[in-house]
Amino acid sequence: MNSLPKVNNKYFTTAIAVISTIIFLFPVYWMVTTSIKPMSGILATTPQIIPHEIQFQAYVKNFIQDTEILRFFLNSVIIATGSMILTLLFASPFAYALARLELRGKGWMIGFLLVVQMLPNIMLALPFFILFSKLHLLNHFISLIIANATLSMPFAILVLRPFFMSIPKGLEEAAVIDGCNRFAAFWKIVLPLAKPGLLTVGSFCFLHAWGDLLFALILTTDKSVRPLTVHLYTFVGQYGTDWNSLMAVATVCVIPIIIIFIAFQKHIVGGLASGSVK
Amino acid sequence: MNVETDTSWQRNVTMEIRKKAKRKKSLGNYLFILPGGVFLLLFLVFPIGYNLKITFEDLTALNILKEQSFVGLENYVTVLKDKIFLLSLKNSVIFTGLCIFFQFTIGFAFALFFNKKFPGRNVMRALILIAWMIPMVITGTLFKWMFAGDHGIINHLLLWLGAIDQPIHWLINDHTSLYSTITANIWIGIPFNMIILLAGLQSLPEETYEAAKVDGAGKIRQFFFITLPLMKPTILTLLILGIIYTFKVFDIILIMTGGGPVNSSTVLPFYSYELAFTNYNFSLGATINTIMLGLLVLVALVYLWLVRKEENV
Repeated sequence: MNSLPKVNNKYFTTAIAVISTIIFLFPVYWMVTTSIKPMSGILATTPQIIPHEIQFQAYVKNFIQDTEILRFFLNSVIIATGSMILTLLFASPFAYALARLELRGKGWMIGFLLVVQMLPNIMLALPFFILFSKLHLLNHFISLIIANATLSMPFAILVLRPFFMSIPKGLEEAAVIDGCNRFAAFWKIVLPLAKPGLLTVGSFCFLHAWGDLLFALILTTDKSVRPLTVHLYTFVGQYGTDWNSLMAVATVCVIPIIIIFIAFQKHIVGGLASGSVK
Repeated sequence: MNVETDTSWQRNVTMEIRKKAKRKKSLGNYLFILPGGVFLLLFLVFPIGYNLKITFEDLTALNILKEQSFVGLENYVTVLKDKIFLLSLKNSVIFTGLCIFFQFTIGFAFALFFNKKFPGRNVMRALILIAWMIPMVITGTLFKWMFAGDHGIINHLLLWLGAIDQPIHWLINDHTSLYSTITANIWIGIPFNMIILLAGLQSLPEETYEAAKVDGAGKIRQFFFITLPLMKPTILTLLILGIIYTFKVFDIILIMTGGGPVNSSTVLPFYSYELAFTNYNFSLGATINTIMLGLLVLVALVYLWLVRKEENV
């Protein structure tokens, strides 16, 4: 490529990047286009890469004529929001203490968190099922919220810790000298400064809980608390080859993720890189 | 990661002073970790302990409300003799090994490419990451459609390329089911590997490359003699994290194949689920969990050792 001028070289790179991104994301494109094709287009002998005909029948059928799915959507929102709040509430003082305060066995705590953040969720789902059934908490949002928060809390603490470490020490010490107690200093001064970290971790917790299938599958049997993921799973079982409807439901399930992702993209990419390798 | 700028003796002195001043207040420090600590003890430590406890009992759905009897190591013997357990262990190893190999290699290629500066780079990098954020249930459903025997796009493509003569029923064929799920999981893993490796690449010192260029080292030599050695800590950590995350994949299997046909795509987490929630033999499921935990702790110890080594540097 040395013979080409520099500018062309740069656009040549962009062209290759665009092509590889398109190929890589083809499955997502295929999901969306399948959802808006009529059955004849889906089952055509030569696949229609570009839909010949567009229709929104699958969306009308699954979201307007049948409004049940809206409840599953709402359930997902409740579960994901609840476990996000619960995680942040407990993880942020914990991470702050690990970052700043004197504690015995800090190294052990961090080591413990590093190990447990890797637990397979089935390892927790089984004891949770027995525990929550004994407590009569199956089919309650609270059991799903607790389960998801448990899974994301070690990760949340580990990712938040460096954020707290990077806040200048002088600020909260000045507040303490000015007569603020340390809890007030943490709440009023440290937390607002750690907002980028809280956004990163918050969006991760939300997304984890939004995508959870196993806990919801095991801890609920009642439609009134089941999230969208379980609905999609049972839907696959019932309408095995109704790809049109399946892809429409899948597309709608992805939309909140895309929105969160666009809104917090900077935080998510940064958090992923710092949190996982550190 | 050198945030502190003061020299070590200054740090020691300040730490001494702080220690004395804070000793009185240090009990208050524990209040910060109290809520989270209690939560983790109740919902993380206790369940893991409970899981371990029932591996020595005969807990099933039938006797869940009664007393269970102590059976010693019987469950472990049963599991280790179980042919399906051995098959799922083998499948788990194949699944993890192939996924890691391909998602790492392709992810690295993407990372090297996206490390160049070109217009639209950040947008495309973000778009690729979407694949990783999509819930696995959805990715599973999507790949189930793409791998479908009738009208699936993968069959269309392979027929068109002339690679196969007739459609293959990928998900209900015991030779191909596991590999279909592996393909789906590789797709999910590529963006994760790419982002972590890209972050590593961007932190490499540019001067080293300049020096190498002056010395006449070509791109390939630069990659093998500069990039790879410098990236070693990132690569090792990423591989270990990858092993742990891939080993526990469950949703993809459940959606795409349900572990079948005839257990040909059953991996350990799925087998544990099946024993516990299809056969309702909680103790056997818990035994598989404990064995998985043992394997993961081994891997995690290597991880901790690496992290500590890195932090000491």
